[in-house]
Amino acid sequence: MSVAVGLDLGSTSIKTIFVKGDRAIWRGVAPTAPGQENVARSLINDGLSACGLTRGDISAVASTGYGKKLFPSADRYIDEISANAAGAFKMSGRQARTIVNIGGQDLKVLFLGSDGRVEDFRMNDKCAAGTGRFFELVARLLDTPLSGFDRLYEAASGDVEINSTCVVFAESEIVSLMARGIKKEDIAGALYASVARRIAGLLGSSSEGGAIYIDGGPAQNRALANALEDELMTEVRVLEAPQYTVAYGATMMLEGGD
Amino acid sequence: MTSGVTNARNERIFKKTSDQISSETARVLETLRSRADYTREFDYFLELAESGMTPEAAETRTGLTTIKLLCVQAPLELIHAAGFHPFKVFCGSNAACNLASRGLPALACPMLRSVIGAAKLAQSSSESPWVLPTTCDWVVKFPEMLAISDVAGEPDSIRVHWLELPHLKDRDDGQRRWIEEIYNFKKFLTSDGRRIKRAALAESVAIYRRAWQALVRLSDLRREGRLSSIWFMLMTGVFFCDSPQNWTTAAERAANSQMTPALRGAKVFLAGSPIFFPNFKIPFLLEEAGLEVVSDDLCSSERIFPGSVACGDESEFGLMSAMSQSYHQGCVCPTFIDNDRRINNILGRMKGAGFKGVVFHVLKGCHPYDLESFGIETKLKDRGLKFIRLETDYSGEDSRNLNTRLEAFRQTIRED
Repeated sequence: MSVAVGLDLGSTSIKTIFVKGDRAIWRGVAPTAPGQENVARSLINDGLSACGLTRGDISAVASTGYGKKLFPSADRYIDEISANAAGAFKMSGRQARTIVNIGGQDLKVLFLGSDGRVEDFRMNDKCAAGTGRFFELVARLLDTPLSGFDRLYEAASGDVEINSTCVVFAESEIVSLMARGIKKEDIAGALYASVARRIAGLLGSSSEGGAIYIDGGPAQNRALANALEDELMTEVRVLEAPQYTVAYGATMMLEGGD
Repeated sequence: MTSGVTNARNERIFKKTSDQISSETARVLETLRSRADYTREFDYFLELAESGMTPEAAETRTGLTTIKLLCVQAPLELIHAAGFHPFKVFCGSNAACNLASRGLPALACPMLRSVIGAAKLAQSSSESPWVLPTTCDWVVKFPEMLAISDVAGEPDSIRVHWLELPHLKDRDDGQRRWIEEIYNFKKFLTSDGRRIKRAALAESVAIYRRAWQALVRLSDLRREGRLSSIWFMLMTGVFFCDSPQNWTTAAERAANSQMTPALRGAKVFLAGSPIFFPNFKIPFLLEEAGLEVVSDDLCSSERIFPGSVACGDESEFGLMSAMSQSYHQGCVCPTFIDNDRRINNILGRMKGAGFKGVVFHVLKGCHPYDLESFGIETKLKDRGLKFIRLETDYSGEDSRNLNTRLEAFRQTIRED
């Protein structure tokens, strides 16, 4: 059996996907740690074991993400914006025109043409507000795993606001809210609303109707899509296995060579 | 006691900053010298960068008192004809920028912060005057920034000659006022009794015309892919560190030499805020992402001076008028109100040059370029051209983020 392997060496986690044809047959993730090449190799070995495959079954490896070049034996290095576009376009059934990617340390907005090519994109700069790191920090403050954030958001009253856009100040603001006895649910609600405002700011007025697709780790929580819908007043769709869209897209780009 | 502690602390801060600047400079020089396209013809420019890009160093090399400049509107020919050496003060050091950041607005222009930081360290011995055109807000406030930063006493104590720049350059009254400014500038240059003779002015025009011709040759080589943008930027970056004659000779020698072709990539035009040595972050990142700058409109690079002063009338008035026009109407600084020439320049240079994208560099705090980028983006995109805006500063911490954007940008160009 011949499989393509997509590696997304991101700032907070390394995502690996095995793709046969255009179907994902295995996915694995590990936190980014020193020795990223070894972490990636270990993930690939996990995938081979899980699928009952050998190294000889791997047709090619596509590497993307901030650390893409740290996997020197990749067959192709692909920039993560192009990989994201390719993955989201394919997974949305060629419907996606506007994609919001919430990464570990950055936010990206991609605008695609009807053929799936990237027509334009925007990225936040040094600020980590609204990124995966931001969510992790709040999870620690609230002592609640990220998987529990959907439940918190559902129960939020919507009466509380987080005004700081900077992670550091937002942290102080959240600590202050907790000290005032504000419920976790309301803080989570305020967090999502704040992130949604930030994404809306990055989108600007460029989204020309149609659904907005979101992916990246934090998109695994439906709460983000709901908050974004409330902010943008447009349909927001979460791509399947949103954490892996970029790795998947990298395998889609293996043909064509760099 | 307190002041003794403060002085000791300052000494440590200055020592640390000085070491960091040396290290920044050495790192870039080492990278340049180890490039595959390095040739001995670049040594002159590397040595100028290495041996201190200060007014004092330029005074030693040229034997002339410098006139310290910011921006590109003061006619170099006039300064030269008066027997001074025009020196555009600049600095690209992040460490110097950080040093000056204490006490200045957080979003102050990084280039001016860097200049101020370097001046703090140098304890400048040069008493030469500043000539400042009233371009952007930061330049207008520069003497105050120097005073706040303890580089100088009260703003009034700094020797500054202001060139009041008419920001509507295509209007007759603006042009008339500018000529008056240039005549006032001449008076300022000759206030110590020296004279600017017509023959000296004509000779200076000829000297800078030759320098311009050398610059055009280098630009052509870059466009043809025979000279990489990194070298081009180094060569233009050190233009003011020596006499124009010496620089021109070295530039001509380099242009005549057998150069190793530049690293090839997708061809782009670089616009926006200036880039100064040793802050070559953007040029290096562009190369890393597979983008080849074949032309630019930076006032630190292709626009270090406005071009050859075209003059059919070699009378003193003819020369003065031609100079005024060249440095005013010919300038595409974004601080001008009527600046359509800038976008037309970009479009004109892109036509037939085989490149489809513009990388627009905005230094954080550089508001005129920041604002102008939006209009240029719209006009370029309306013509089907690709555009990317990079807002950054002198620090290296956003390098990966910028690299991600540039790689994706290259992909969008390639797909077209």
